[in-house]
Amino acid sequence: MNKRLASSDRAPTDWKAEAMQKRIRRRYAAERRFKLMGLAAVVLSAAFLAFLLATMAANGARGFMRTEVALEFDFPALALPVDRAQLSTPGADLALAGAELENVVKGAASAAYPGPVPLISDNGWLTVRDAIKADPGILGRKERIWIPASPEIQLALRGEGDPAVVTGASKLEGLGAIRTGFNRDFLTASNSTDPMVAGIWGALKGSLLTMAITFLIAFPVGVLSAIYLEEYATRNRWTDLIEVSINNLAAVPSIIFGLLGLAVFLGTWEMFGHQFGPLLPRSAAVVGGLTLALMIMPVIVIASRNAIKAVPPSIRDAALGIGASRVQVVFHHVLPLAMPGILTGTIIGMARALGETAPLLLIGMRAFVVQPPQGFTDPATVLPVQIFLWSDEVSRVFVEKTSAAIIVLLVFLLAMNGLAIYLRNRFETRW
Amino acid sequence: MTETAPAPANDTGHKMSAKNVNVFYGSTQAIRDVSIDIDMDHVTAFIGPSGCGKSTFLRTLNRMNDTVASARVEGDIRLDGEDIYSPSMDVVQLRARVGMVFQKPNPFPKSIYENVAYGPRIHGLAASKADMDGIVERSLKRAGLWEEVKDRLSDSGTALSGGQQQRLCIARAIAVDPEVILMDEPCSALDPIATAKIEELIHELRGRYAIVIVTHNMQQAARVSQRTAFFHLGTLVEYGVTDDIFTNPRQERTKDYITGRYG
Repeated sequence: MNKRLASSDRAPTDWKAEAMQKRIRRRYAAERRFKLMGLAAVVLSAAFLAFLLATMAANGARGFMRTEVALEFDFPALALPVDRAQLSTPGADLALAGAELENVVKGAASAAYPGPVPLISDNGWLTVRDAIKADPGILGRKERIWIPASPEIQLALRGEGDPAVVTGASKLEGLGAIRTGFNRDFLTASNSTDPMVAGIWGALKGSLLTMAITFLIAFPVGVLSAIYLEEYATRNRWTDLIEVSINNLAAVPSIIFGLLGLAVFLGTWEMFGHQFGPLLPRSAAVVGGLTLALMIMPVIVIASRNAIKAVPPSIRDAALGIGASRVQVVFHHVLPLAMPGILTGTIIGMARALGETAPLLLIGMRAFVVQPPQGFTDPATVLPVQIFLWSDEVSRVFVEKTSAAIIVLLVFLLAMNGLAIYLRNRFETRW
Repeated sequence: MTETAPAPANDTGHKMSAKNVNVFYGSTQAIRDVSIDIDMDHVTAFIGPSGCGKSTFLRTLNRMNDTVASARVEGDIRLDGEDIYSPSMDVVQLRARVGMVFQKPNPFPKSIYENVAYGPRIHGLAASKADMDGIVERSLKRAGLWEEVKDRLSDSGTALSGGQQQRLCIARAIAVDPEVILMDEPCSALDPIATAKIEELIHELRGRYAIVIVTHNMQQAARVSQRTAFFHLGTLVEYGVTDDIFTNPRQERTKDYITGRYG
């Protein structure tokens, strides 16, 4: 009663008073300040992103281009000691080996350009070999063949490097014996010590094989664990412990998973496991995939659990109420409704695995691999590791290729994220 | 406590009979020693203030409480004389025989047809596509929804209005040919017109099924039911013919509740 009296004793609130007006102004100022801060944050991150993309595009665009020079070969005059009958058999390389093709081609190059730097790249003569293999008929005539130029010539065309080479290169350009175009080898060849012929196909294929293993292991195991934990497990100390462990695993640095993969799939398996199954090879996509599967499984479990948790309980009640069993409830109703969330989480996890380097270095996927892997057990490397290896190289051409490979990787990551958004919208159920 | 049960609880003659049922959630007791009989051709209403245990008790009748990990049920509940909590009782079949309609309409986010066909399909009740079509049509007709949806059976069930959704849920429940239908406040989320339609439907369904309806609306209980059970604080205070309960309650607490003294 007293309290009431006291409040009615107070003077009525004066909404026009100076102090009140000041409070209102301060409130508006705080609002504006906060909006500006948010805007500044967005602009800053957009600027960083634009800077990254611009640098990558500027450097990487050159990585996709290659300079080639044309050399004239008068094959009848050279009279290469080659058995033409063998050229269409698998023994073609052997048949050509006797011809000392490398010296012939390099001799022709230094005749065309007797400068201080080689005209064609170290492995350029392989182009001639492949041309002969593709069409043995050219051995009977004169032929003009485009051969990858040496890195020095490629840079000289842009006006970089030794001035003498620059003038030499522009003279050749004037003769029409030099051209720069899209380097298809970059997408179809594998790693090489020669920057002019190195490509990313091997690494890309390694990435795809590794991702396939990762998905096949991590998706079913992760989703089934999530279903069990959400729909079947009773909450007790053990499930709490499992939940905490999974959350912690999701935060473990990836290199630790590399050590785990090394210890389990290579170390322990070699010591004890190989009596039960085949030995797992080092540097192979299968071990890389298993290791990355361990790494992204917690992410998939957490995303799937959240998606399953978000399915309204009324749907479970509805299905149980007409006599569906637990499994039917899960697979007919809960899982389809949770699928968009599960897929989004899985693809984000897969994108993380696709960009991962550290754990793969530890299980030997940093090997120098010239042949694209033919299967899951062949030595392979992956895109991010290829980028890492190339970024260590001195040659300017490798630096540009590094950027180009980063662009390819980013395109794949963007495609995966785009797929995640598409699938989410496609399968989303509207209520 | 149960002195007002209309007939002595013996297993024969009653569709369902509960004897001395106690339900616990962890260490709290939600239902205390409830005994009740439910008969065919009757609508039995459970009334009582919020939290009195009427929904909890309803959910023990088809073992929906099994999904709550901490829930524990003691006592004896029989369907046609068969103990529904015995290990030999298949809970999936039990829930098909004792169907349920929930407080909030909860159609599956699938087509109207699929909503009704789901139950018969998982129980293998339809031999062919034509058979299934027949079940769907018959169920929707019985639920009074057929005329409204017959031209758009492939539309999503969630696109219907609230009242239509609830009737769809009723159609879904009767599609598996249950013997008892439990309704947990089926009209609490509906407007008066939709409520009237559901009540009309309950009248029509009465001849085929034993219906148990939980409601917090006493007028509704008076309108649709033949028997009324009044729950308070987890106990069954009074159970009898609806007219008697509303005009001449024997218990003081029942009288106070239906005259609006509390609740």
